[in-house]
Amino acid sequence: MIAQLNSIPLYLICGIIVAFVAAVCVVFMVRAYKAGKAIGMDEAKLKRTLTSSVTFSILPSVGILLGVIALSGSLGTPWPWLRLSVIGALHYETQVAQAAAEQVGLQTLSAAEMTPKAFATIALLMSVCIMWGMILSIFFNKGYLKKLSGSRKEENKGKPGFGDMAMTAMFIGLVSAYIGSYIGGFVSGEGVFTFKGDLTPVIVACVSALCMSGFIYLSEKKKMVWLESFSIALSMLAGMLAAILL
Amino acid sequence: MDRETYLEKYDRSTHILGRAACAITLVMLVGAPFLIGFILGALPDLSAAAKGFLSVGIIWTVSSVVEFLVYTPMLGAGGGYLAFITGNLINMKIPCAMNAREIAGTQAGTPENEIISTLSIAASSLTTITVLALGVLLLVPLQPVLQSEALQPGFANVVPALFGAMAYQYFRRNIKLALVPLSIMTVLFILVPSLISQTSLLILPSGAISIGLAYLSWKKKGAKA
Repeated sequence: MIAQLNSIPLYLICGIIVAFVAAVCVVFMVRAYKAGKAIGMDEAKLKRTLTSSVTFSILPSVGILLGVIALSGSLGTPWPWLRLSVIGALHYETQVAQAAAEQVGLQTLSAAEMTPKAFATIALLMSVCIMWGMILSIFFNKGYLKKLSGSRKEENKGKPGFGDMAMTAMFIGLVSAYIGSYIGGFVSGEGVFTFKGDLTPVIVACVSALCMSGFIYLSEKKKMVWLESFSIALSMLAGMLAAILL
Repeated sequence: MDRETYLEKYDRSTHILGRAACAITLVMLVGAPFLIGFILGALPDLSAAAKGFLSVGIIWTVSSVVEFLVYTPMLGAGGGYLAFITGNLINMKIPCAMNAREIAGTQAGTPENEIISTLSIAASSLTTITVLALGVLLLVPLQPVLQSEALQPGFANVVPALFGAMAYQYFRRNIKLALVPLSIMTVLFILVPSLISQTSLLILPSGAISIGLAYLSWKKKGAKA
């Protein structure tokens, strides 16, 4: 069965979809770059955005590749490759694939038990469960953003707007939840207040933050602005190295 | 063409392209299991898929609605369409767009931010697509290296490494704002450790707390001005 799941027709089907999505990304990128130039944005800033986003994404992408490898043992390589290249999320795929496997009567998600019907059903469920973000975008992205920009204009009359601050605050909330979960995991992960949980994520986050402070110091105080594009990626690398060395 | 007309035209075509791209991707993604099933000689079992959807899909549907409402304003039009097509929002696209915004110094809701966000999400998505394509091509030689026991702790901690760096970047300028949600979340996870597996949902109350605090301080500043 695994040979069928790794066959050329499956690679072709998945490859065509991945290529389509890559083409969409290229079209949006070129349009945005041209628009930026047309409205007089600094080209160096546009280029720095591209460089920083590429360097930023390399390490998490390798992490996602590990997800493909993990799932390829039971679902073959092409389908997990497609799922994690297009709308997939690392934490989502395994969970849904597992639940779908149970529904089609498999004991575990494994190649040994896989049948063509089970695979097709698992693949369908993996697609259907996560498609809502796209559906909502098709119907409501335009109206929602229009409504927000309308209220922004309203509130901006006479004083600086809250919209920008709200985005920063939301992100601070997001980061706080994750950092809090690492500390909570260490303190109570193995029983409330036992301090026997995993300390690694806390140390990794601290090392990464410390490196980031060094990079920010160098780029702001020593005028090494070029470092900005690589600071997150290099800080992450330092944090991950710490996890390996611990 | 003046700036306003140009931007209006750009925005209109972004929505047309974004909707078309989402619709085509959707059809291909849902169609692929049927096509693959046809090639393998067995179509999907729709009743098992429906049962599966009821057991796990509902949760993901609710979380998709929340993700759409919270992240669309952060990503803008072009970035929003692309991010919902390419996925991995919390662990990559959102931090990537916020980092780009920080570097470019743009403000949410402005055309400049819309452009920076689109560029950032497109570049990030293309990087993932390239890394995964190369990884799949080189799967045989890469697999033992990437799955080696020595490197596992590193890859298991990509997200803490990412949020550690981002925490410094954002907290240093907003330490007062960060302290309250960080303390509340930490205490909550310490007292109810079972919630740790639900962190992606707890982003909402945490975000609401910091937005509430930011609003109070914004109001106060407005009153002083």
